[in-house]
Formats: sequence, structure tokens, C-alpha cells
Amino acid sequence: MRLSVGDLDDLSLGGVFLATGGGGDPYVSYLLAQQALAASDGVDLISADTLDDDAFVATIGGVGAPSVSLELLPSIGDPLKALRAFEAHVGRSVDALVAFEVGGGNSLVPLIAAAQSGLPVIDGDGMGRALPEAQMMTFPIAGISPTPALAIDYEGNAAMFDSGSAQTYERHIRAVTQAMGGMIIAVEHPMTGEALKSAVVRGTLSFSIDIGRILRERRGLAPQLLPALGAAFEQSQYGALVELYTGKVVDYASAIVGGYDVGKATLAPFDGDGASLTIDIRNEYLVARIGDHILASVPDLITVLDYETGTPINAERLRFGQRVTVVGVGCPDYYRTARALEVVAPRCFGFDFDYVPIEQRV
Amino acid sequence: MRRIGIDVGGTHTDAVLLEGDAVIATTKALTSTDVLTGIMTALETLIDDTAFDPTEIEAVMLGTTQFTNAVIERRELTEVAAIRIGMPSGDGLPPKVGWPDDIAGALGDRVYMLRGGYLYDGRPIAKPHEREIERVVDDLVDKRVEAVAISSAFSPMNPEPELELARRIEEALPDTRITMSHRIGRLGLLERENAALLNASLLSFADGVVTAFIEAIRARGLMCRFFVSQNDGTLMDAEFARQFPALTFASGPTNSLRGASRLTGLDDAIVIDIGGTTSDIGVLQGGFPRESNVVIEVGGVRTNFRMPDILAIGLGGGSLVARGGMSVGPRSVGHRLVDEAMVFGGDTLTATDIAVAEGAAEIGDPGYVAELGGDTIASARATMNDMLARGVDTMSPGEQPLPVVLVGGGAILASSFDTAGPLVHPEQAGVANAIGAAIAQIGGEAERLVPYDEQNRDANLQQICELATAQALRAGARPDTLRVADIEETAMSYMDGNMARVRVKVVGEIAGLGAPASEAAR
Repeated sequence: MRLSVGDLDDLSLGGVFLATGGGGDPYVSYLLAQQALAASDGVDLISADTLDDDAFVATIGGVGAPSVSLELLPSIGDPLKALRAFEAHVGRSVDALVAFEVGGGNSLVPLIAAAQSGLPVIDGDGMGRALPEAQMMTFPIAGISPTPALAIDYEGNAAMFDSGSAQTYERHIRAVTQAMGGMIIAVEHPMTGEALKSAVVRGTLSFSIDIGRILRERRGLAPQLLPALGAAFEQSQYGALVELYTGKVVDYASAIVGGYDVGKATLAPFDGDGASLTIDIRNEYLVARIGDHILASVPDLITVLDYETGTPINAERLRFGQRVTVVGVGCPDYYRTARALEVVAPRCFGFDFDYVPIEQRV
Repeated sequence: MRRIGIDVGGTHTDAVLLEGDAVIATTKALTSTDVLTGIMTALETLIDDTAFDPTEIEAVMLGTTQFTNAVIERRELTEVAAIRIGMPSGDGLPPKVGWPDDIAGALGDRVYMLRGGYLYDGRPIAKPHEREIERVVDDLVDKRVEAVAISSAFSPMNPEPELELARRIEEALPDTRITMSHRIGRLGLLERENAALLNASLLSFADGVVTAFIEAIRARGLMCRFFVSQNDGTLMDAEFARQFPALTFASGPTNSLRGASRLTGLDDAIVIDIGGTTSDIGVLQGGFPRESNVVIEVGGVRTNFRMPDILAIGLGGGSLVARGGMSVGPRSVGHRLVDEAMVFGGDTLTATDIAVAEGAAEIGDPGYVAELGGDTIASARATMNDMLARGVDTMSPGEQPLPVVLVGGGAILASSFDTAGPLVHPEQAGVANAIGAAIAQIGGEAERLVPYDEQNRDANLQQICELATAQALRAGARPDTLRVADIEETAMSYMDGNMARVRVKVVGEIAGLGAPASEAAR
């Protein structure tokens, strides 16, 4: 599939849905991708399975506080600059780029570098959603090291990483991000085509476009959107979509704990009668429950839609009084393996319960 | 003390005369194409009706949609040179990126991006280049640029780069008008810069509007002070309004909510403002509108002004009633109500006709709707009440039912609306906007990104409160009436040291005016 400027609206909107509250506002990355694509003949979005086993692939994306890039704006040349510096550092040319995660600006950063370099982008990503930490990506779970990796800041200063584990890399790149102004572009997870195929969550960029198209064409009351969204998810690797709750935000509190937005939202029915729903948040929406009854939890996807328009809402935009519909959907099978659950199960986020797939809960 | 509030709406221009809290007189005139004629008609009617002594009036407050409409209709906008300080960051995202072509074109094509600005932690992004600055200033002189908007990365935290460049431009071009982004917006560089650009393009129009208005009220013997209402429910004086016309965007809904609060004495309530085509439902929290947190587009341009959170539903006095009352709105006869509605001899069944047939309103000739079927009336009533009930449920903030206040010209449509909380339909509900303008206060705001933990939270908060207070005093507030109206704390993700974005709003009475009775009693 050849991506062009016309696909970006749907890709961004669908990405916010799959980002489950995280990933930040894609607006500035969207503007840059728009220009980069308009100046190119488009970008090839290729299936991981068409890649040679000995091809050389790397992930690319932004790392940092989304709120910082509201002021420290990204530049259109940064992704390519990071890619070229990375290639010089590892002494090898990259054959294809892959996104860290779907959602927010990070679905779009690979497209900017690809439009300028002519490289293809893999239709897939390392999360199938958004998650807060590097070791939670499918690639390190599959044993692929995130390093050697390279990050550049707004003025092209570079930092190289060679870390013993994904956890160490995560800790180091967070520290470096702060020292580099709060937002950087990183190229990481150098891997072969064969390694990529063992771990990538397939088809997520084209699926974002499908979801974005449904949200755009059927924009309107969220409950009326759900049948069409549900049909799309039913046929995908995510499985059935479930409406968890419709109501308004009656309490919302968040604080920074260990560098994350940690918070809790409480929702009540519009007319005030009935049980309330709580959502635990750590950058992403992690757990939805009514009383002690858990309806859905990470790594399954929980997404909050604006009730009036069906537009998905990032966690940082959630506010008291907002009228919303909450939906849940299963995660890709990869995240349900024992190995993946070691790093993405609810306990990894400090919750005191085990993961139960959403279809067994609801 | 006596004050006059004026609200310029799409159809009507309303004026009210207040003595303390009491509404002495109200009047409505049609809004004129030039706006000023309508205002003067309303003022003259008010003067003739009450025969008051103009010298007893202490202040005139104006709420107007002129500047919003100028942006939406791309009228009266002047060209503006856009200068951003923040390179090397933001290359590829120049000022006006993402704007609709027509309004971007209306502001001309002078765009400059300079090195400099600051990072979140207070370190500079880059050292400014003296030669780069000289070249820009020379070019501005060369092109005789009349208006400039300056923005800089993290300028709400450190405005020095904007101030320094403004000084340089003032030296070279003393008559050029300058808007600095840190004076008009909050964090969010593109949206703040957009606000500064729109503002700068309105400066010349604002001068004309303010001057004409002052001359007109002086000619009627009103020698008092003059204020314009802003989108946050506070006022700016005439000189401030000349510099910041963009701060009037969305002041109409704010005035309506504030007026409803004053008319009822309620600080927490749902307010339904029923007009000809829509009912605008908003929420009062502590006497001020609950604000929306979405990016607000004005004329297709993204801004981050604080605007009231309003749910508009398609029910107004001119709404079409169809299917035997099963359907009401969203289509409306609008301002053609006086020709097309049945009570005015027309043949279109409208929501107003239903209210007259029920006996809830006396408008036009009830004889024309005497034959209307009781089923249709009952069914339309149920439909309208259901629409309002759903809107109110949607906007209600919590489990406790809030009082519902009806204002606006179409408020009679909802007089039999059944709510969980009390239904309040104040007298003078038709001029709530003008009352809201008349009672508005003076405010100040400050926003900083600060390290935030238990040790330094209080100290940081106090410092930001002091900055907001200083701004309120500059805007003309009376020191002994100032109070903190709002504190917003937003945590920043992926940052150690608990960084938070903190915004404080301070409001108080206008210096040199007596406080209205109820404020003084609080």
C-alpha cells in the first residue's frame, strides 16, 4: 500500500483510538508528516512478511513528555537526521523503518523519515497499542536488544546507547531525554527481517486508517458508532469490542509518580442513578472497574470516546464533567503469552491481580 | 453606584442600567450592520425611558461579538509580520502552519523564524544571532510593517526574548503595533502564537471601534469609564481593549452565564440560554462558567483561549415543529419568526406557537393557534422537555441535582420543563448577557512550569499567585477585593522532579468603583 497525504487524517485519528489514552496529541507530528509526504511521491507501507530475512530494520520515534513538545516544537528534518546518525554509528544502512507504537505522534514519525529517505515503513509496530516503557515492546520481549540505539535532540546533539537490558536502556534514555530538553527522536532495536517477523504486531498502521475512517465518516453519538467499529475489530487480531460504560467524568485526579501521569477517573451515569465506573491511568488507561468488579485491564485496550462525537480522548485531555463512552477490546495474542505478561501484566503496573482476557471478564 | 451593560448579539443589542445589584431599566434594539448605530439606539432608549442623569453613571461595560465576527468573516483584518523565536526547534512548522488559506492570506506573507527561546528547565534553546535580528528589523523597516506578532518557545515562563525583540522593533518603528504571545496565551506555542497573530491583525479595527464608542457615549453626556468584557468573565479597560481585542472571543456565552448567576444569586447552576435557533446549555461553578478543555478554533484557527463549556442543542423559539409534535428543530425560521410563525399570521408551526397555544407565552395573536390540536401541543411539549432534559443530564456535573436557570429571549419555551433541581426563570432573563457584562470583574492570570513537590509546592504556588495579582492590578483591579478564583495544576509526564504546569486566576472589583452590594457582603 502506498501512503499519501490523504491517509494522514484517518491514520492519526485511528491511532489515538489504539493508543488507549497515551501517546500525546499527534497534531504537530501530523503537520510535519503532511509536509514530508506532500514533498514526496508517497511512502510504501509494506507487510513485514514481504521483507527479506536478512534485511536490516530499526524502530524510530519520539521519546519524552508530550507536553514539552507543545513548546519545543519538533523539526521536519529531525527523524532523518537521527536515522542517518544511527546508520553512521552502526555502520550499516537501514532497509525499512518500523514504529515504536501506534498512536500519538509515534505512528507518524517513521513516515516523515521514510518520505525523505525513500525507505519503506513496515505496516505494524512494536506494541499494537501504546504502553509507557521500552521493555514493554514486543521486540525486547522476543529477545531483541533495543541497542545499539541513538537519540538526537532539537539541535542535532546525539547520544548513543549500548545497554545490557531493555530496563537499563529505558532508565538511561529517560535521563538523557531530560538533559536533552525533554523530547528527543530515537532510533533503536536494530534487527534483521527475520527477527522483526518474530515479534512485530502486524497490520496496525493500515488498521489505524480503517478505524480512523469509521470514526470520521460516522462521527456522531458514540453508542451509534460502536456497531461499525465492532465489526472492524471483530475481523482483526484484537477481537470483539465491548461497550464498558457510558457516563460523565465526576472525579478526575492525577499526579506525577516516577515520571508518569498517574491518576484515576470516576464516571457516573448521566442521570446520576446507577453504579460508577473507575479507570486507573498511568499515561494510558489501564484498568476499568465497577466497584470490585474488573471489566477490563492492561494489556487489553481501554479507550475513552467523546460521547457527542465519538472522538477518542487522550488521558491528558480527560476532564471533570466530560461526557464519554468507554470501550474495551482484546490485545493482540502476542501480549497474552506468558513471556509478554511478565512485563505487561497488571502486576507490572502495581495492581494486585492477574490478567484475565476481556472476553472472559465481560 | 450605577452602571450600564451593553450586549451586542447577532440579532439584538441589549442595554441594562444597574444600580448596585438592582436592574433599573432594560432595553432591546436591533443590531445594526455598523454595530454602533444599534448600540446608540439602545442607549438612547435607555436614557429616554429612565430620564437618568448621565453624570451619575460610573461605568459602561460592552460585550461584543464584533472581533470574533471579523475573524470568522475575514473582515477588517490587517497584515501582520509573524516572528517566532525558537530555532533550531520547529523547523517546518512556521507561523500560520495549518491555517485555512483565506485567513492566512489576509495576514500577508511576512514570516520570520529566529534562533533563541527557552527549554522547559529554563536553559536557552540557542544563543540569539545579532545579525539575524538586525536583518529582520531592517526588513520590517523596509516593508513599513504596521503590525507584528512575536512568539517565543516557553515565553509564558520566560518572556525576555519577546520583550527584547519588541524593544528593538519599537526603536526602529515607533508606530508599529506589536502583540507579544506571552501577554495573550498560555503554554502551547502554536496556539498561543495563533492568538497573538489574530490579535495583532485586529489592532487597527479595535482602535476604530474603541474610539468611535467612546466618542459616541461622550456625545450622550456619559463621561464615565468604559470597559469591554473578555472570554473569562472579566473586564478590560479601553486602553487594554485597544491592545487585546482577541480576548473578547466567546465573551457572549460567558456574560450570559454570569448574568444568570447575578439575576438568581446562584453560584452553582445549569444555565439554559434559549435563543431563536439553539439552546446553549452551560454550567456555573462558583459563579463562573465551567471551561472547555478542547482546542478552540476561531475562524478555523486553533487557539488555546479559555472558553466556556457549552452544549448547543437545536431547540429555539423559531424551531420547526413537525410530525404532529414528535419532532422539534433543529431547523428554525430564525429571525423570520415574526413573518413565518403562526402567531404572527404565517403558516409555519414553530416552538413559539406551541408555547403560545399552551398559554405559557403572550406573543403575536393567540387566535391563530386556537385551532391547534391538543395532541400536537402535548406531543411537542413532551419532545421539547425531553430534548432539554437530555441536554441538562449531559451537562450536569455530579449526582446532586443543580438548579436550572432559564435565560434568553426563548426562555418561555421551557417554563413547564420538569427538572430534578429547582427551575428558575428570573425576570429580565432576556437581557442576562447585558447584565453579565455590567457586573464583570477585573482579573489577572499567570502560568508557570515549576518543579513541584511537597517542599516547594506552597512557595511556587504563592509566587504564581503574586504574578497573577500583579497582572490584575495592572489591568485595573482594586487590591482589597482580589481573590484567587482558580488554580489549575497539571502534572507533566516522563519528567523527574515532579514538574507541573500551574495556572492561577485572580479576580477583583474595578478600582475606583464601589462594589455591588452582594459582592461587598460576601
